[in-house]
Amino acid sequence: MDTQQLIKQTVTENPVVLYMKGSAQFPQCGFSSRAVQLIKACGVNKFVTVDVLADPLVRQGIKDYANWPTIPQLYVKGEFIGGSDILAEMYQNGELQTLLQEFAV
Amino acid sequence: MVTAEQVKQYIAAGLDCTHLDVEGDGHHFYATVVSDAFSGKRLVDRHRLIKEVIKARLLNNEIHALSIVKAQTPDEWRQQQG
Repeated sequence: MDTQQLIKQTVTENPVVLYMKGSAQFPQCGFSSRAVQLIKACGVNKFVTVDVLADPLVRQGIKDYANWPTIPQLYVKGEFIGGSDILAEMYQNGELQTLLQEFAV
Repeated sequence: MVTAEQVKQYIAAGLDCTHLDVEGDGHHFYATVVSDAFSGKRLVDRHRLIKEVIKARLLNNEIHALSIVKAQTPDEWRQQQG
């Protein structure tokens, strides 16, 4: 399977996926860390993270997939939502809570 | 080194804004952008619009990094100001 197919499969088979640097427990970048905190602040504790530092093909491939140059990237039900700035703005105006409501525990 | 005022002018030159505020230290900038062009667009597409305007200056590293604090329509901006 090529990288684009792998990414498509990952984001469609899992409802909430964050492509990030490091893991949710040990983020390797401030922006990734902020994204994890914002998702958790919406009550979502179970979500899939993909560490792009573990695979150079995925690290480049995810930028091509969304046509978005930076990481982290959040996907919900297969749809690209945005990076950490967008998550912060959506959290501030309540959109992120609404979007993630059904996945909150 | 590029100033916040210059970054503001770069954005304003490519995007019709009703409110535009840029702060920054010469490397990392923070922009609040209010424009009619955002109507009916998702946040991700609003951010794409802003980044597109300064894309060349991001790629050549004249602007090292731009965080977009807010990208709102005039209506959203007014409501929020209360």
